[in-house]
Amino acid sequence: MLIAKAMGALAVIGLGTSAVLATAAKRFHVEVDPRVEAVAAALPGSNCGACGNASCFAAAEGIAMGEKPVNSCVAGGQKVADAIALIIGAESCVAVAVISARHCGGGTNAVRAYTYVGVMSCAAANRLAGGPLACAAGCIGFGDCQRACPFGAISMDERGLPVIDVHRCTGCGICVKECPRGQISLLELVPEAAPVVVRCNAHDKVKGRKANCSMCCIACKKCERECPSDAIHVIDMLAVVDYEKCTGCGTCVEVCPQKCIDLYGRDSAIDVKAADGAGPGTTAELAEPAEPVEVGA
Amino acid sequence: MSTVSQLALLFIGAALVNNILLTRFIGLCPFFGVSGNMDTSIGMSLAVVFVMMMASSATWAVWEFVLQPLGVGEFLYIPAFILIIASLVQFVEMYLRKASPVLYRAMGIYLPLITTNCAVLATATEAAKPGFFKMNIALGASLSLGEALIYTLGVSVGFGFALVTFAALRERLDLAPVPRLFKGSPIAFIAAGMLSLAYVGMSGWFGL
Repeated sequence: MLIAKAMGALAVIGLGTSAVLATAAKRFHVEVDPRVEAVAAALPGSNCGACGNASCFAAAEGIAMGEKPVNSCVAGGQKVADAIALIIGAESCVAVAVISARHCGGGTNAVRAYTYVGVMSCAAANRLAGGPLACAAGCIGFGDCQRACPFGAISMDERGLPVIDVHRCTGCGICVKECPRGQISLLELVPEAAPVVVRCNAHDKVKGRKANCSMCCIACKKCERECPSDAIHVIDMLAVVDYEKCTGCGTCVEVCPQKCIDLYGRDSAIDVKAADGAGPGTTAELAEPAEPVEVGA
Repeated sequence: MSTVSQLALLFIGAALVNNILLTRFIGLCPFFGVSGNMDTSIGMSLAVVFVMMMASSATWAVWEFVLQPLGVGEFLYIPAFILIIASLVQFVEMYLRKASPVLYRAMGIYLPLITTNCAVLATATEAAKPGFFKMNIALGASLSLGEALIYTLGVSVGFGFALVTFAALRERLDLAPVPRLFKGSPIAFIAAGMLSLAYVGMSGWFGL
């Protein structure tokens, strides 16, 4: 009798809830535009937010409704823009390829003004009298950019400097926003030629700069004189590359006495050599590269 | 028991003294799963408050009007409550999707996660048949619906409070100079232990 009652009670509850759910499924059915789902599938799905939307799905809705251009996905680039244009039947437009580049060769080359003890975050260290580095523009090296990168394109090398994996970087610009020093900046990628990058962005007086870091730009204008295509100029006491003219010939890289100009993509080789023995800082002072933070769900 | 001070005691006992996460160790999966950063933990806490209130009122009614009168509650409450809670969450998800897409987007990820969470089942059971999990000795033999809901609100607010506190701790821990061996989950478990010691310090308050 008790078993019959129990079975009856469970059956009634089960049937009741399933009836309610079945009615609800019909009554609250929501039509989803199939194009939204197709566009969402074409997007990278990393929810990096570089397009200005909260998530890839929100971006997909905007694109499918025609409120946003097909190339809104910064991370996906031309390939994704073409795929989306195919789905929604619009004309594809050219997505500009940009990529992140580090403008600092400091790390172990840079002099420290004080010993920093505290939260291993560039943002926190930067607030404490502008960070532990003597150079006001130098890379603090606690890896805020590495933790922020949604594509795992940034790693911290043994000098405490971020190294950008050119193949993984999508130019979403999140690291640029995250860096409290403006240390990483976007540059336009010239497709055929390997562009060069100046590993210094100090704008203070050259004399003080030299005392702070053994790899700074000393504004000697050697690169400016030697460049065959007139692509590099010393502006405001700092070498600046004009990427429209740069052919990536590498002349400036060879002539730079400070080794602060580098071929992009060869992120570590040159400055590691320069750091040997010359660096006043030691690796022990630098933070261990932190592991990427997982976003729980 | 139904004076205001007794209801307040019921709430404080459920939220702080017998905190479900830190002194009862129920619902540890979301405690470690979604406490990685503040945003997800706040979303999860709100969703838990919502689901627990819904689940408790539904199971209280089923216990009071179906299981108890039939005399089958003692051995049937777990399957019956799981059935009710799971379908309730499903229903709420469907309803939210239609009625409030914004809220659905915000809660959608967390709602299914809570469906079969032990914390929800424990709270619902305790609200229907007090004293079973010995989560709050101030409870009487049975609760009215209002008392059950205040108790549930206390548990879920305590859950959210502990979760958000722990998320704040973990955000700092990620940046702290932690020895490599302890980085990540190990130090999180150690921190959880210390946090729970702090909560155990509240046992005995007001005789709870």
